[in-house]
Amino acid sequence: MRDTTSSCARNDAIETLSGAQLTAWQSERLREVANHAYREVPFYRELWDRAGVEPGQFRSIEDFARFPTISKHDLVQAGDVWSNPHQGSVAFSTRGTSGAPLLVWLSAEEEEAYIRPTMRGFRWAGFRPGMTALLMSPVWHRLAACEAHAIARLGGRCAFFWGSMGSEYTDSFLHTLSAQRPEFITTTAPFLLSLIRLSHGSTTRLHELFKGVRSVVVVGLPLTPRMREFLRDRLQVEDVFERGGTQEGAATDECQRHTAPHVHEDVCYLEVVDEAGVHVAPGSRGRLIVTKLTTAGSIFVRYDTGDIAAFAPGECACGCGFRRLKIYGRPESSVLVGDRLITAYDVRMCIEEDPALVGRNVLLIREANARAGILTVAVEGEAHDPAKLQGRLREELGVATVHLVWLGELRVNWGFRQVLDGSEVQLPRS
Amino acid sequence: MATENANLLFDVPGGRLAFGDGDLDTWAEHLTWCYRMMGIGHGATIAVQDFGSSPVSFLGSSLLMPGLQRGVAERLDGRFICLDASAERVTLTPALLAQLAVDALVIREDVIELLSAQLRKKEFAAPAQRKMKTIVVFADEPPLFNAARLRPWRHLMHVESALLLAPQCASCECFHLREGFYDVNQRIIRNLRLTAPTYHLSRGELLSPSHCAAGSRDWCIALSPRERGI
Repeated sequence: MRDTTSSCARNDAIETLSGAQLTAWQSERLREVANHAYREVPFYRELWDRAGVEPGQFRSIEDFARFPTISKHDLVQAGDVWSNPHQGSVAFSTRGTSGAPLLVWLSAEEEEAYIRPTMRGFRWAGFRPGMTALLMSPVWHRLAACEAHAIARLGGRCAFFWGSMGSEYTDSFLHTLSAQRPEFITTTAPFLLSLIRLSHGSTTRLHELFKGVRSVVVVGLPLTPRMREFLRDRLQVEDVFERGGTQEGAATDECQRHTAPHVHEDVCYLEVVDEAGVHVAPGSRGRLIVTKLTTAGSIFVRYDTGDIAAFAPGECACGCGFRRLKIYGRPESSVLVGDRLITAYDVRMCIEEDPALVGRNVLLIREANARAGILTVAVEGEAHDPAKLQGRLREELGVATVHLVWLGELRVNWGFRQVLDGSEVQLPRS
Repeated sequence: MATENANLLFDVPGGRLAFGDGDLDTWAEHLTWCYRMMGIGHGATIAVQDFGSSPVSFLGSSLLMPGLQRGVAERLDGRFICLDASAERVTLTPALLAQLAVDALVIREDVIELLSAQLRKKEFAAPAQRKMKTIVVFADEPPLFNAARLRPWRHLMHVESALLLAPQCASCECFHLREGFYDVNQRIIRNLRLTAPTYHLSRGELLSPSHCAAGSRDWCIALSPRERGI
């Protein structure tokens, strides 16, 4: 591990604002965004008129909670009435894992706002001038488009491999890795895990190809502590950082303390609410609501992402005043068992307590009858201490019955989707 | 391809591209010329289903790449839709095309079959499909005829490693090698503006300048309709 005090260098004044100062600063931005949305975007004007709220009533950040939340379905249905005159000329698609995909627009002004936090996150992750970064495809995600700009401004070189983020492009990734010898990598966790699995038993020695890589920054899967250790160990890289973000404007990055990703509070205002829409206390889980703090690009005001998240309580020892948020999963990466919503992250946390099971792909099987209170989990590879694992899952997740399915030689692609419907698969029950 | 002061490196099929300051704008200007030659003009909304490491994608806008002052969207004063060419993303395209009318869908030849199947499955509205111009990007292997595929409106020849982009002309239907941008000697094509390996044309007929009024000083490559997948 490298020295953390020097690498957590704080370069932005906003990072050191007190909680009250930051709230005041964000309130002003939220007021601007709400005013703009009301004036320029018919969707919001109509929505807020119906709800009996208007930006003029906005006095403090607490008032903001009175504005209704919106969903992806609302925006897909809205079509052109959701357009912002300043939305820009480049569009990206959401992944469509929760219904129809949505086109999200990016403008130069908005990108400029998001390059700054990207640079901050990369500095936290140890990027230094003169380094070469092997980056994700810039057309993959709105935040990925900011990455190359951030690296260039930090004085680095950008390298791109041929292809995309599916497991069929791992050879191409390795080819570029071996040719460019980057010190810094951004990618998705499922892609890295696929890479590790595909290299198992082959003559390719991954750690030799990763030699010289100081930091790997991953998106797409919430890292458990043991998963991070597993990635560090298998790739023999100095550190692995979790980056988070949505096409709708949420942006988070881990500092070197790895307690939970910090929210880039200068570009987004994030809330975590319960089923009644009330803010939950730090440490408690709820639904993630996103508001972008810019009037450019597609406008998202109180957008319900469907993500299950929690703010970390207390302050981070790194000294950055930004709140920390862990995103645990989405409805499509969770199953309802009785009245409990269990995320794939929760299940992986339990499973990985057994070192022999760390790094195995885990899928939750959604049962037709959630009320039956049965949690069904498919685990890659051969059975390993199943009775103990069942007991642990029952106890830690508070479910009555656990069915384990050992997938043996069957390989399931690591992906963003971590839940299968019971009707989609016919698996033997152990 | 080696460029001094290169700070952007792309691995592409058969080689590696390295760009330094100013290179990307030269390349984006040429790609914009290609679009114009194919009949895609001012204000167009262009959706590109290609990998992010392909110039057809990353030259789409200055928002996508540092060092690019003006990408295709800025040069045409149009809009650019990023559609990655992974199978997962191709399946989303019908739903996206239903949300937004695009003037041109530019798609890698190797995923057009998948998209065609998805469009059929999702019953993509025929009027929208008629309005949308489909440009199929192929490398040195021309696409084969396949009746089940989305019918191409034009083709764009793109050999990444040789920095060769030749659009199919709306007038003569041949692939234009832009005068001043490419040098042609026998069947060897060389990029005059950017450093790249030469390309040996193995298929089609080379037509000398003055063949087509749309680019009277351009060399042209003539591929038979069959060779163009028609």
